[in-house]
Amino acid sequence: MDDYAIGVLTNVGLISFLALSAYLLLIAGEMSFGQQAFFGVGAYAGGMLTAMYGWPLPLAALCAMALGALAQFLVGLPTLRLRGLYFAMATLAAAEMARILFELFHFQRQLEGEPVGPDGTQGFRGIRWVFEHGVEPLGYLGIVYALLALALAAFLLVERSRLGATLRGVGEDPELAASLGVDVNRVKLGVAAAAGALAALGGVLYAHHNTYIEPRNFDIMLGVHSLAYALIGGLGTALGPLVGVALDIGALEGSRVFHGYRMIVFGGLVALLLIWRPRGLLDERAVLWLKRRFS
Amino acid sequence: MAEATLFLILALLPGLALAQAPKADLECRSTGTDFVYDCTIRVTRGGKPLEGARITVGADMPSMPMAHNIKPVKAQPAQAPGEYRARLDLEMLGVWAVKLRLAGPVRDQLILHYEFDSKGASPAHR
Amino acid sequence: MTDLAQNTLDGLFLGSSYALLALGFTLIFGVLRRVNLSFGPAVMFGCYAATWVHLNFGAGLVLLAIVTVLGSILAGAYVERLCFAPHRGGSAIAAMVASFALWMQFEELATIALPRHVYDFPPLHGGAPLAFGALTLRVESLVMLLAAVLVCAFLWWILYRTRFGVAVRAVIDQPQAAQLAGISVPRIFMLTFALASAIGGLAGFLIASSHEQVTPMLGMWSTMKGLLAMMLGGLGSLPGAVLGGLALGLLEAHSQWFFGPQTRDLIAYALLFILLAARVPWMTTRSAS
Repeated sequence: MDDYAIGVLTNVGLISFLALSAYLLLIAGEMSFGQQAFFGVGAYAGGMLTAMYGWPLPLAALCAMALGALAQFLVGLPTLRLRGLYFAMATLAAAEMARILFELFHFQRQLEGEPVGPDGTQGFRGIRWVFEHGVEPLGYLGIVYALLALALAAFLLVERSRLGATLRGVGEDPELAASLGVDVNRVKLGVAAAAGALAALGGVLYAHHNTYIEPRNFDIMLGVHSLAYALIGGLGTALGPLVGVALDIGALEGSRVFHGYRMIVFGGLVALLLIWRPRGLLDERAVLWLKRRFS
Repeated sequence: MAEATLFLILALLPGLALAQAPKADLECRSTGTDFVYDCTIRVTRGGKPLEGARITVGADMPSMPMAHNIKPVKAQPAQAPGEYRARLDLEMLGVWAVKLRLAGPVRDQLILHYEFDSKGASPAHR
Repeated sequence: MTDLAQNTLDGLFLGSSYALLALGFTLIFGVLRRVNLSFGPAVMFGCYAATWVHLNFGAGLVLLAIVTVLGSILAGAYVERLCFAPHRGGSAIAAMVASFALWMQFEELATIALPRHVYDFPPLHGGAPLAFGALTLRVESLVMLLAAVLVCAFLWWILYRTRFGVAVRAVIDQPQAAQLAGISVPRIFMLTFALASAIGGLAGFLIASSHEQVTPMLGMWSTMKGLLAMMLGGLGSLPGAVLGGLALGLLEAHSQWFFGPQTRDLIAYALLFILLAARVPWMTTRSAS
């Protein structure tokens, strides 16, 4: 497999974390335009720990995930009673604030005579842990997908359990769930923390894959894209968001047929797809049909 | 399996020195065709020209991430040591983040920001 | 003291452009109960169409304004047919994501048709700005403010003095009852969309000729400002849209003076977040899911 294909596949994996985090929130009834901020938090935190302080990547990743969870929890707390578009706009505002803060963030250390670290709008270059430790592209791809598989396994387990039913219940009808004794706020905050951790994991892996990050990478486009992937792929299962990502980045970027017209084609396909299937390809009905077919 | 174990072992070792990081710069000229440029890439490592590197060149536009689709090209060695040539076919004028992927003799990745206009490219400072 | 006055003046002018954008957004949200993420891009489409005409035919300002408005209406109709008509009774998220998908189309179309990052747009007024004592007034800004006032008056007239307006208000307040009373809701949606796009197109033309340039970022920029202003003024309220736009303009003008452009945006977003979190009544009463 050539380097370019490996790169495309790795990108699919990385963005899948982001799409999964948007999906998790959608299931619990919240539409978030702001997951890109936690992706960014993970990227900056993880990158700083490895590039500036020599931390090993696994440890930095864990720390980044914790920070992402905390950040999304802190955004979720004041917005608990917001619904629908109000919640979405609040997350958008929070994410844009985060992006601007990244633009204003200058924090560098002198290492071997060179400044290393985030430099505001100039970005954060030199996140070279992967190269310094001789990890090959194929190896990194394996790591990304191994972690993604773990996340998926967790999702699939939860979806079959009572927790999964509770989540979907809160998403469909919070009042009903509350009347059944569910602590809706606790569920929402838990979901927020999990989604933040997931997005941050994607972010730290992205930073180390790209070796360079800048605030512009974490703008609204990324956020709305990840929401779109979750919706297009389908809200019936955690595999849905992955399908969405694979469709856009994988199929269309991988194939050079649509060079220069990719977004026009993809945009049109998405709009048409949503007319046919408003809840995505792998929506609840499709998943039910598949389960019956194969059991 | 071996990869994973190796990764885990390497993960726990402290990082190597930054002095080994290669550096590069770009000089591009328009070929006359819209948005196509002939570029000369100069790579050094530790102050000395890096010879025999296998470089793949890609590009993305920072202000419109994920919006463009530039086919990565392999750079060919030029006459002078540490110099390589590649032809870039971009889709628009403006600031591009050029991504240099080195596959040998060192594995690394460099990202350089250049502003491309109708004549050529100049380093972009933001 | 003069700085304060000058910034306030600049803020009002800036706010007028935001108000126009917010009016378009709010019309669509008020009537369709949906957020159209392609609103800004449709406006950009109009501006790019005018730029294309300008580059190839060197047309005059009036013609360019007409092209911008017509282009925006055309783009808006495309969006309405593909993203909002099919989901009329259904999922709001699907409509919104579909409108986002079309946003991607518009952006790519713009960069294919006009590949340079920045294009010149003919200025509204080639001469020097006016001076009133220590204050400077750009003619373009005055035109923008005037346009905002005229559009508001025009909208008021349409909504409160025509049968079409009665139908629109009926659909806004009581969609079920309006339908039962025989109002063709799909037709109202289409016409409202056209009206909103036209207002957006006018705003786009004025913005492009005030800045004397167009870039592909115009789509995102218009959408963000329109959304922000609409939220600040109260979702779904037309007077709110105007007030929200003006308030945003004033906030930005003063923040930029004291803190610079990045902090200016930071303050605007922080304000929105705080107001939303506090669930201020005027902002959060309309149902929005």
